[in-house]
Amino acid sequence: MLWAQRLWLRLQTLFRREHTAQQLNDELQFHLEQQVAENIAAGMSEEEAHHSAMRSFGNATILKEETRETWGWITLEQIAQDVRYGFRTLRKSPLFTAVAVLTLAFGIGANTAMFSLLDQVVLRLLPVRHPEQLVIVRETGNHYGNTYGANTISWPMFEDLRDNNQTFSGMFCRFPATVTIGYGDRVAQIPAELVSGSYFSTLGVGTALGRTIAPDEDAVPDSAPVVVLSYSFWRSYFDGDRTIVGRTIALNSQAMTVIGVAQPGFDGVELGVPAKVFVPIMMKTEMTPHSDGLKDRRRRLSWVTAYGRLKPGVSVEQAQLSLQPLLHSILEMEAQQPEFTRYTTAADRELFLRNRVELLPGSENGLRNYMSRPLWLLVALTGAVLLLACANLANLLLARATARERELAVRLAIGAGRARIVRQLLVESVLLASGGAILGLALAFLAARILLRIYLPADAAAEFVVSPLPDGRVWAFVVGAMLVTSLVFGLLPAFRGSRTEIALSLKDRSGALSASGISLRRMLVGVQVALSLLLLFGAGLFVRTLRNLESLGPGFPTDHLLTFSINPSLNGYSDEETKSFYERLNVDLQTMPGVTSVGFSVMPVLKGYAWQNAVVGKDFEGAPIEEQPVLNHVGPDYFAALGIPIVAGRAFTAQDVGPSDWRHDTYAVINESFAKQYFPGRDPIGQRFGLVDEMQPVSPEDIEVIGMIPDRKYRDLRETPPAQAYFPYFEDAHFRFMNIYLRTQADPRQIENEVRERMRQFDPHVPVVGLQTMNEQISFSLRTERLVASLSAVFGGLATLLAAIGLYGVMAYAITKRTREMGIRMALGALGDDVIWMVMREALLLISAGIVIGMPLALALSSLVRSQLYGLEPHDPLTLIVSISVLSLAACLAGFIPALRASRIDPMNALRHE
Amino acid sequence: MGKPNDLVQGTLDLLILKTLSLEPKHGWAIAKRIQQISHDVLQVQQGSLSPALHRLEQKAWIKAKWADTETGRKAKFYSLTAAGRAQLEKEVGNWSRLSAAINLVVETT
Repeated sequence: MLWAQRLWLRLQTLFRREHTAQQLNDELQFHLEQQVAENIAAGMSEEEAHHSAMRSFGNATILKEETRETWGWITLEQIAQDVRYGFRTLRKSPLFTAVAVLTLAFGIGANTAMFSLLDQVVLRLLPVRHPEQLVIVRETGNHYGNTYGANTISWPMFEDLRDNNQTFSGMFCRFPATVTIGYGDRVAQIPAELVSGSYFSTLGVGTALGRTIAPDEDAVPDSAPVVVLSYSFWRSYFDGDRTIVGRTIALNSQAMTVIGVAQPGFDGVELGVPAKVFVPIMMKTEMTPHSDGLKDRRRRLSWVTAYGRLKPGVSVEQAQLSLQPLLHSILEMEAQQPEFTRYTTAADRELFLRNRVELLPGSENGLRNYMSRPLWLLVALTGAVLLLACANLANLLLARATARERELAVRLAIGAGRARIVRQLLVESVLLASGGAILGLALAFLAARILLRIYLPADAAAEFVVSPLPDGRVWAFVVGAMLVTSLVFGLLPAFRGSRTEIALSLKDRSGALSASGISLRRMLVGVQVALSLLLLFGAGLFVRTLRNLESLGPGFPTDHLLTFSINPSLNGYSDEETKSFYERLNVDLQTMPGVTSVGFSVMPVLKGYAWQNAVVGKDFEGAPIEEQPVLNHVGPDYFAALGIPIVAGRAFTAQDVGPSDWRHDTYAVINESFAKQYFPGRDPIGQRFGLVDEMQPVSPEDIEVIGMIPDRKYRDLRETPPAQAYFPYFEDAHFRFMNIYLRTQADPRQIENEVRERMRQFDPHVPVVGLQTMNEQISFSLRTERLVASLSAVFGGLATLLAAIGLYGVMAYAITKRTREMGIRMALGALGDDVIWMVMREALLLISAGIVIGMPLALALSSLVRSQLYGLEPHDPLTLIVSISVLSLAACLAGFIPALRASRIDPMNALRHE
Repeated sequence: MGKPNDLVQGTLDLLILKTLSLEPKHGWAIAKRIQQISHDVLQVQQGSLSPALHRLEQKAWIKAKWADTETGRKAKFYSLTAAGRAQLEKEVGNWSRLSAAINLVVETT
């Protein structure tokens, strides 16, 4: 127990330090008194006795210090002193401290936030067991059929691969769908994941409650009306009701039994579209009433995404090789089927048999691909910011070091040990760095939350778990970079100090000694200017891209336009019921006060979707997908509601919207590009064309053009308007999903609630999805561009500010060192203007050096972001000129202030200075 | 006159422990006692005594208590702990061996 006793004693000396010190004083005082008493007894006078006693005690302070050292903690005590002293000196120069801490916080915060966004959106693996083993199995090359989504294969092919491969320890597939959920009196549309029976077991995902979908629920279509809820959906929609297991909910009016709640944090394998419910894929018909692919076992319809789990130690390349023979045998079998041979030639067959298996990382998805480029770009920008912040910090610390040369010399002169001074500077650097790190972390946490909120669809962002320490390695790297910078440059004066002749420093002639410091600082300023130019130029390009996209718009007026979508077929409405629903809804909305016209459209506008199909005519054939026109089914008032004029012929009327099928005469409205492409030099009105379709071909005589509209954007704001053809919407045999556009008299946001209420009264079972103004929709579609533009603008601005601070610091310092020279010059007749010019010449030299380095760098790097730009070239001269001007202006201003001060030097004062 | 400072490291510790083995004493009395027993050969300076006492206290070989002296003044009295007694035995043993060895060397040559 001796160690415990000793620990107790040491803790007492640590925490009752004042008390212990007081006792030591008392003890020593007692000893002194005893000595005095003894001396008096030996015959000395009282005064003599006292002096003699003091002499025999020697240096009381050293005695106390030596005794205190036996208590331990001496290092701690000195560090505490250093920390206190450090705080005091930092407080004495608040501007330096503020700029340094903010620089650090900015560098750390921006980088951590950006990287954590990149990590969580693009890099992070799935929250499942051994995510690195998961791969998506896809088939390269043309599949000769219809495809739902990227990286999909047909259901029968999935079964063949699952049952015959030797490569994977498990395989599963999934299909994302939107379903209507009814529970109690609430209805909503939610994203669902249709999954094969091995989904949960292969992923290694368990449940918080109940059980998962079992492999035997994967055998017979329609046989498994069960559902697993995602944890977050269970919490939000069912208030975490633990009795939910065993209850029945309605999905698309199909009664489904809740069998479990998935483990927390798991919401499907597709990031950004968190699945709320998991349903056996055998329920496909009920969940997606409009299409099958499961029961009809069509091999020319790919719709499931297949995943495999690699056996431990098997590489992706090995797995691809071992799967290839299996795929080939499946392809050979498929190539014999009438489903394939009916529409293909021998050449197609050759091509088809060359298709290969490709394995993608399991975390691959469209959202990631879409977001990864701009995010990497932003990460690169923040990397430049980190460099800049380091340069600025180095500059600040160097400036401070030179300013403190004298202080350090004084401390050395009065006997401070070199080690103690190094430790003192170290402590100061660490204080600065930790202040910056704490602030930066807070900044990063806030920024990452805000960024995710901008970046992801609202409900996805709400459920996205943002960890406050997103990635330890990144944070460590960024903080480490800043810490090393602050240590290296913070300690420089201590090491430089060891070469310092104390006497020289004290005589205030340290200028010569700091020559290396000032040239290093000039270099740093040059680097800062170059990096700032890079960031400013980038910001200019991105801001102008956003401006271009916003100002050009889609080509039709987007104010006073409200949009939402509905899907009554998800409530189990038959085709007849759905048709009647839309007819009645059209009438109902047209009579709504404040609404001037109502447009129905099967495909949404400016949301990135398109229905493309090859068309045939008397003198043209089907074309590959890139050249195929974009098609749509619209209601009679669609063009009026969107404000698109008819330039020739007429728009649809209510009479055109009668029930019909493709085999009879059908009308079409086309755009100018369509006319130019297919009917060059002819009046398009009255021309005829047909559709190429393996299931439902339309002969070249069946569709008649009745009207023409000007070219307007269709999929997104970046595109050149493609060739477009519109058909009356009842021509389509499946009326399912419908987008509704309301042109309003006043601000459309004012009637949002009325629309919602009117729709609820019209049919309380059909939920209104995505009710928003067209401007809101467009604004959301530009979120990436806005994020890039605003962040790069902020970075560019701050970079310029930092560079200006750096330049100002260097110039101001150079001038204080040359005060005498200036004084002499002015005494000899130099005018204020001459001095200003002399100083400015140096500043301009620094600025131009930075620009000369930065410009080719900026031009080279801007080519890399060509695909992110719109309406301007990566080498846009105007942007380059403007950013150089802004930077030069800011830098000149920063140089001018010290120059002006130099010109006001009083020669008499300057010369008397020394 | 040898100063304890010049003595083998740890010798002062031994002297203090030995002095305290009979009864608790305050610092001043310890120094006086050592001086007296050694016939003024060993004079313990304040500069050595105080750190040594605190070092021994930190090692929990001696413990301190504030009490009145015979003159009624408050003073810090040190006494041996059980651990200190064990340490004393060890150090006495070490010392005997060491001094015997030194004697052998010194007297043989």
